[in-house]
Amino acid sequence: MKITKNKLTSRAAKEAAFKFVTGIIRWAFLLSISYILLYPMIYMISSAFRDAQDFVDPTVVWVPKNFSVNNFVIAFKALDYLKTFWNTFRMEIISAFIEIVMCSITAYGLARFDFKEKKLLMGMLIVTILVPTQMIMLPLMVNMHYLDIFGILGFIGEKIGTELRPNLLNTAWAFYVPSIFAVGLKAGLFTYMYVQFFKGLPKELEEAASIDGAGPVKTFLTIVVPSSGTIFLTVTIFSIIWHWNDVYLSGLFLSRDYPLSVQLSRIFTILNSGIDGVKYGSYSRSTVGIVMAACLLVILPMLIMYCILQKQFIKSIDRVGIVG
Amino acid sequence: MAEKIKKMKKKKGVEQLKSRYGRLFVLPWEIGLVLFFIVPLVTSIIYSFSNVILGNGGVTTEWVGLRWYDFIINSDPKYLDQVKDAVANFLVQLPIIVALSLILAIILNQKFAGRMMARAIFFLPVIIATGVILELLTSEYIDVSLVTSSAESSGAGNYGSSMIDFDAILGNLGLPEDITKIIGDYIGSIFNLLWNCGIQIVLFIAGLQTIPDQLYEVSKVEGASKWEEFWYITIPMLGNSILLVMVYTMIDIFTQKTGVMKSAFELMDEKLVYDRSSAMLWFYFIIVAAIMSLVLAIYHRFCLKKWN
Repeated sequence: MKITKNKLTSRAAKEAAFKFVTGIIRWAFLLSISYILLYPMIYMISSAFRDAQDFVDPTVVWVPKNFSVNNFVIAFKALDYLKTFWNTFRMEIISAFIEIVMCSITAYGLARFDFKEKKLLMGMLIVTILVPTQMIMLPLMVNMHYLDIFGILGFIGEKIGTELRPNLLNTAWAFYVPSIFAVGLKAGLFTYMYVQFFKGLPKELEEAASIDGAGPVKTFLTIVVPSSGTIFLTVTIFSIIWHWNDVYLSGLFLSRDYPLSVQLSRIFTILNSGIDGVKYGSYSRSTVGIVMAACLLVILPMLIMYCILQKQFIKSIDRVGIVG
Repeated sequence: MAEKIKKMKKKKGVEQLKSRYGRLFVLPWEIGLVLFFIVPLVTSIIYSFSNVILGNGGVTTEWVGLRWYDFIINSDPKYLDQVKDAVANFLVQLPIIVALSLILAIILNQKFAGRMMARAIFFLPVIIATGVILELLTSEYIDVSLVTSSAESSGAGNYGSSMIDFDAILGNLGLPEDITKIIGDYIGSIFNLLWNCGIQIVLFIAGLQTIPDQLYEVSKVEGASKWEEFWYITIPMLGNSILLVMVYTMIDIFTQKTGVMKSAFELMDEKLVYDRSSAMLWFYFIIVAAIMSLVLAIYHRFCLKKWN
């Protein structure tokens, strides 16, 4: 009797010790990696709040001596923040949401129904993920300049002598139209993620709904969408962030009214050409502070969004019990 | 008999209806696929076989056959080396990224104090690394101490190895120089590759959450160790997630703005040369597609099939 009790306590002690040690290892591991990941963030914050003379002062390592928000004021003006922010929202964020919806519809068709050309379409989906936009850049731009559906508009226009093909360049439609057809920015990847998720959902619920007389559309809206919170949230976060950060497509389709990311990529040019009559020189040490402040201003909305959605994200992940 | 035929007919009708609905769901994407993907893609293949002249009225092409392919393979001194480098780079990076993000996802999926904080931090690369910001951070005008000289080796940030000097530590161990170099490269690349793990970690966490707890409870009752749990429950149940992460990672690695991609885009963006750069990209992508399908086929044959 006594022996078993001893055994039990020793085992409990062993387990507690094991937990303690793994806890420490985990913390050390995570802390060291967090340092690497946080380094550029800390660097950005540290230099953004520095006064110009702190950059030449060797005693200033991380904490600025002359704390100033001057960099932010200049960066705010250089980015033309309010206007570019509105541009980003108007073009990128709205098309991100259109894409979230359209990709899920496409994915449901690919995941749950069988038809002859499905295998071919799945193959094409992988190809769309694989091919970077740069490869089809020039044809795509021509396409956006003279938007046409299989040459119909061009043909009619030629017959009646007017240009019917709309020019989408420099308009928000250059972003909306591909999103409506679920082929926008990274749309292939989103569709693929949805397909993988929908395939994992238990079929029984949908079958029960269809026995009760619900059509596929109704089943999709009332059964599939409500039980796919996780994947919708994941895709939403990715889609918004990628659209927000996209430089390439918006740089291609727009020659004015830039969104934030493109404006940020032009920051050296802008600083060099001068704001309010003052030129900041492209590569001097103190412009680093302004550039870093601009970076912070650009990612700030994303950080806020992530902090808000993060709680929802974990909650919704933890709630999904039926999948598996 | 007649009833049976009737039943079969009915079943066929339902199936036809179902396939029709499936096509309906996919229809918008099919139109977009042709308009915004297949047509431009075919056009770009045509470019790679032609002389492309950009004029005021638009683009004119003149068929020259395999000339550009012949040029990049036989006359371009850098091209084939860049392709080889990309393949070698891929073989190193893929296993590291997949394993690292799986380990981190498993750790972040456990319950411990401060896990919300940790997750928030690990998502930072997704916000920073996909944008211009990383480009600005690693550009030559910003503080040099952030970037080490090996900036060529990876598309993402390279500053990690400058914080701790691994070469010196390894040098003191007295190993042969070749081995030290390989180990050093691996450790150095782990630091850089952390930046490419953000999305994979999120995908893995989402996958881990779908594994039912009952499986672990049963294995605990059966007396399985943590190690066995990992290999016999976690990994097989993550089969599809691993596939997704692998596909994503491979594409991410192959489309990094280094080597072939970099020189082709420079030709396009700065010199407006579309014919030769199209040929460069197409040749590269044929090789990439071959390697990717090989990796996926191996994974499918030896892993997914065994687990199901």
